[in-house]
Amino acid sequence: MSQIAGALAISRKDIESYYGKPPLVTWGLLFPAVLILAVYVKDRAGYLAVAPGIIGMTLLFGNTSMAAIVITFEKRTGTLERLLLAPLSARTIVLGKAFSAAAYGIATSLVLTLGFVAFLDMPLARPVVFGLGLVLGAGTFSFLGIIASVMVREVFEAMTLMNFFRFPLLFVSGVFMPVAQMPWWIKPVTYLSPLTPVVELLRIGVQGESTLGPAWVPASIAILFFLAAGAVSIPSFRRCTMR
Amino acid sequence: MPWRCEESPVRQADQEAQVAVRVRGLKKSYDTLVALDGVSFDVSKGRVFAYLGPNGAGKTTTINILCGLLERDGGEVSILGRDVASDPVYVKSRIGVVTENSNLYPELRCRRNLEYLGELYGLSGGERKKRAEELLCGFELTEKADAPFGSLSRGMKRRLTIGAALVHRPEVLFLDEPTTGLDVPSAKALRRLVRKIVDDGTTVLLTTHNLFEAEELAYDVAVLVGGRIVACGSVDEIKRRVGGARSVAVRFSGTVHEDALTSACPAVKSAKPQDGFWQLDVADLHEALGQLIAFCQQRGCRIKDVGAREPTLEDAFVSLLAGAARPDGRDGP
Repeated sequence: MSQIAGALAISRKDIESYYGKPPLVTWGLLFPAVLILAVYVKDRAGYLAVAPGIIGMTLLFGNTSMAAIVITFEKRTGTLERLLLAPLSARTIVLGKAFSAAAYGIATSLVLTLGFVAFLDMPLARPVVFGLGLVLGAGTFSFLGIIASVMVREVFEAMTLMNFFRFPLLFVSGVFMPVAQMPWWIKPVTYLSPLTPVVELLRIGVQGESTLGPAWVPASIAILFFLAAGAVSIPSFRRCTMR
Repeated sequence: MPWRCEESPVRQADQEAQVAVRVRGLKKSYDTLVALDGVSFDVSKGRVFAYLGPNGAGKTTTINILCGLLERDGGEVSILGRDVASDPVYVKSRIGVVTENSNLYPELRCRRNLEYLGELYGLSGGERKKRAEELLCGFELTEKADAPFGSLSRGMKRRLTIGAALVHRPEVLFLDEPTTGLDVPSAKALRRLVRKIVDDGTTVLLTTHNLFEAEELAYDVAVLVGGRIVACGSVDEIKRRVGGARSVAVRFSGTVHEDALTSACPAVKSAKPQDGFWQLDVADLHEALGQLIAFCQQRGCRIKDVGAREPTLEDAFVSLLAGAARPDGRDGP
């Protein structure tokens, strides 16, 4: 069978089994909506500076968590073994898993964004750049979730492992403060974070400008992170599932 | 030297094309633990091959290597002429695997589970719907088609798991402990299903602790102990070669002492009283019966009741394990 068809079949099944469930959909929407509303109520003019960062943060937490939870859960129930017995390459399985997690992240972020556009008059100055940020962020973070999940046995282990890098990323990636305003000693670390270019792309999408320069700069960095995460996730998955 | 299946006369007669699974010198270690130490056997097409051994012998390790779930350290593995390590997608498309646990998706309905697996094996939409209905009907689960897999009884789960492994009509089916944890009627029904699968032309590699099941289903057997094959051949061969003694139950009219009985009847290897009978292990039935009659005539007693029992695969298995446990007999009797 076509390996692409196999990846799509895995994605459809995962969306049906896990991502389409009401608790996940409400979690993916309510958490960021409440955060942005809190900032909006406090400062109606300034919330736009934070909204792209919160959407990026939602993508980071939502996608890494979901990709990791699904794979760890399937490892425990033995259904991942069922998948490994099918005539599919490791690449196909990773792409299928990443695609469903990314679709979940993109869908919830889009609903959230459209809600803000409709009810809070949030502008979308460059919607294509915004969309590119969502796609690259969702893809990169899904791959990172897969890398974390194959290294552990339990869901809590995956969460603990990922929180070691997720929380520091919030601090250094321009989520709550533009990169240009950060102290000089943080800036080198900022450019090493996969969240930074995603937040900057979303910021350009909303406000039309970024402190990282024109859109192609964060886009190029985000593509590099996306490709690197994908390239690492496939051999990691193969190595950890083929003992 | 451990037993090697290719040395069996039956194996020598097999044509290359008639071999579904060929394993040669398979090796696997986990750190310092040697799980498989040069395992070799052939599985003929269209037959049930029972792969037996005590816990920790290396059975599941072998199955996992054959199915492409585990990398081997050495040796050759060929399934339908292809190596699973170099051509995993091809081999996986031709085999079906039922693992020890019923590992379908608990949240999906039974029909959806089958259709999803059909999709992963490349069946078209109409084909997989038709195949799912066939399997649900064949495995007597049509009424449960729309129930989530997780809500089924253990026996039903096992049946659907076997059905799921057949969704793409595999040529070789691996069954790892298929009846573990099932009640007697469910296990019996499953054995009937396995016979039907084999009648349809599928080759089955079965691992089980249930030696009655292996004897009932399998034509060929390999016994693995400590990562090495200690016996391999047809069920009858193994019983003849390793089971050796037959068991005879005799009731005498008078009192008989063990020493007198065994010294007067050299064909009797051991004698134990049990429930009014003497349970005798005899090397040669004809010779032993002659000696027993002579013993009675000499003693002036009579044989009131006598019955002989063929050695079972279980007798052979126990004998093999005992042989493998002997310090000087690791390679078996």
